[in-house]
Amino acid sequence: MNLSSSAPTPRSPGLVSRIGNFIDRTFQYWTIAPLVITLLLLVAYPSVQLLRMSVSEVDIVKGQTVWTFVGAKHLETALQDPVVPVAFKNTLVFVIAVVIIETILSLLISILVSRSHHLVGLYRTVLLIPLLVPPIAIGTMWRLMYDYNYGFINQALALIGIAGPTWTASPKLAMPSIILVDLWHWTSFMFLIILAGLESQPVELNEAARVDGATETQILRYITLPLLRPTLVTAVMLRTIFAFKVFDEIFLLTGGGPGTATEVISLYIYKVFSGQFRLGYASFLALALALIISVFVIFYRRLAQRTTA
Amino acid sequence: MNPRPLKKVKQGLLSTLSLLVVVSFLLTACGTTATTEAPAPTQAATEGSPATQAPATVEAPTATEEPKPLPAITILINESPWLAGFEALVNKYVEETGNPVNLNRTPFNGMLEKSRNAVQASESEFDILTLNEQWYMQFYADGLVTPIKEIKPSFELDPQIIEYEWATRWDPALGYSSQNGELYGLPINGNIMLFFYRKDLFEANGLAAPQTWADVEAAAQALKNDEMAGYVVRANPPNWEFQAFLASYGGNVIKLDEQTGEWEVNLNSPEALAALTTWLKLGRDYGPANYADNGQAEMIALMASGKIPQMVLVGASAPDFDNPEKSIVIGNVAAVPVPGSEAGMNATMSGIWVMGIPHNLPDERKQAALTFLEWALSKDAQLFYAQAGAIPVRQDVYEEMANDPKRGWWMKAMADSTPFIHAQPRLAETPQIIEVLDRRLKQALIAEITPEQALLEGAKEIHKILTDAGYKVKPLAD
Repeated sequence: MNLSSSAPTPRSPGLVSRIGNFIDRTFQYWTIAPLVITLLLLVAYPSVQLLRMSVSEVDIVKGQTVWTFVGAKHLETALQDPVVPVAFKNTLVFVIAVVIIETILSLLISILVSRSHHLVGLYRTVLLIPLLVPPIAIGTMWRLMYDYNYGFINQALALIGIAGPTWTASPKLAMPSIILVDLWHWTSFMFLIILAGLESQPVELNEAARVDGATETQILRYITLPLLRPTLVTAVMLRTIFAFKVFDEIFLLTGGGPGTATEVISLYIYKVFSGQFRLGYASFLALALALIISVFVIFYRRLAQRTTA
Repeated sequence: MNPRPLKKVKQGLLSTLSLLVVVSFLLTACGTTATTEAPAPTQAATEGSPATQAPATVEAPTATEEPKPLPAITILINESPWLAGFEALVNKYVEETGNPVNLNRTPFNGMLEKSRNAVQASESEFDILTLNEQWYMQFYADGLVTPIKEIKPSFELDPQIIEYEWATRWDPALGYSSQNGELYGLPINGNIMLFFYRKDLFEANGLAAPQTWADVEAAAQALKNDEMAGYVVRANPPNWEFQAFLASYGGNVIKLDEQTGEWEVNLNSPEALAALTTWLKLGRDYGPANYADNGQAEMIALMASGKIPQMVLVGASAPDFDNPEKSIVIGNVAAVPVPGSEAGMNATMSGIWVMGIPHNLPDERKQAALTFLEWALSKDAQLFYAQAGAIPVRQDVYEEMANDPKRGWWMKAMADSTPFIHAQPRLAETPQIIEVLDRRLKQALIAEITPEQALLEGAKEIHKILTDAGYKVKPLAD
């Protein structure tokens, strides 16, 4: 009698069972795979196309798109293009101005609203209104308000005997006029984020500090602002990204003028792409803008990590 | 770990995924249906006004009663001051022929994008594209619209139709619009510039209608006061008006030597400097305080509100000065051809719209589109078009309309301007050239750079644009 042959041997797992185990082990990946693949395609495909276009000339001949690889030609064109440095400089001036002013303004307003015990809902609603108005309407509205002859601002100034300036026609005033419109439009965005950050702070800390004899200024300096820092970094990062992409207001208010006083890079990309139909060069400029924004995003992320640490 | 909740989660996720897949399929199916439907009925349902659709009786004719109507055509048309006139023309066509027409009315800013998208599709959704002066050469050069004689070999353009320095033609060998080029587009709106002035103020001050820029300056000096500027230049964008000044001094931005096929960039010429100096002087010294910020709409408002006594503007703005809802100077505005550097050197710039038939259409649709265009350019149709407030494109119509009690005052100026029509640069690279011109002229206007710098730097940039595009270009003059 062969004992070994009679002993019950453990059954090797069947194919179905092995597949079942495999599915069990990897189930979570399968479930999210469609979403991940879709998102990757949605992000990756346009990015690759943008990259491809930025090193190509793209023409439409007889309805067919004709791609010609040109290597670094667009970089060379950009370096010789007299508008590019002006547009980047103006963009940077605009971004720095609006991000700093809007952060300070929205921080002040948020602190005041968060400490207010009356009409908080009303303040919030009123301050939210500019964010709800479409940029196209904002541009048109301010264009009418800034109008030298018929605008509300100059007419109001005339009532008190002041001759209003040419808000959008003066090279010195055009950019500040645009920045003012942007402050009106976007401060509420920063306000909302910062207010949310303030309202999520534990009140016990403030109360404990008060019991320990801290003044309101000390509470703000040593408790509120340090706790708010991660929120502030996020808000500033988002606002910086949006500010780099400013288009509507400038397109409607000045079209980049007078001269090149308010020419920003997004507007120039639009002109190159849509007006001149230089798809390759416009893509290169768009890629350059995306890279610059990425540098800022990396900087803010590092800042956020340091803050959290 | 309890496997039951995990199993439930898996089941839930699978159900959700299945649902998503089904919804995706449904959405995809709906999308496919929408895009594969014939575009014309969709247009008719969503965009065509009842007035522009064929009458009900035309839609179901019997074979023995009347000839079968042509297929419905869809025209991409810009929303502009002359749209109402064009709509009236289309209504008349539908009424007379029974051929249905749909209009896709689009603001100026979306016209180019829609046109480009249409010619890139497997079949264009539009049967006729309305192309602006600064765009159509790209469509001609790249073969995106069909040569008219390819559709109808016997087609001959009526000599009364103004060709606006061959805006209708394209010569592939030269890469330029020239008299010997092939016919690609047909004009539909004859916008050119006119010189508008307040005849009541001129008469009161003993001034005659200006014929030269010196006359214009003298009038500006005489009429400028605290309430009224003496002249206003168009600063947004400035290139069009400046080119009229330039042509009136005998200059040009670029010029083709048809013998050698070489291009000359002449923006840094003495003629250009004289033209720019005059333009800047009139704009700065006699203009309103916001002289660097006025576009067409602002200029119309200035004239209509009595704040400016004279200006150069597109002929199509004339009806605004007779509109009691807009104007306080009704009956007091007159028009003449744009003045010159000296008498007889008048120059006006073409700023017309042409209609082109996309390359990617079946022959039946191309024929239907051309049938409409031939009808629309006939003398009777153009007379009706002019009376409906649009800008015709026939010389005989302008001459006849010169006696019209309502519109004669500016139609005569249009008729008189025909010999002085000049074309803007007409190359595939024109948008780039125009961008340079606009930027440099604006910089000169606000004194960011000197006139000499503006012209020289502009000339260098245009020279580079042409050289990079592969044209033979003569070296820049010192």
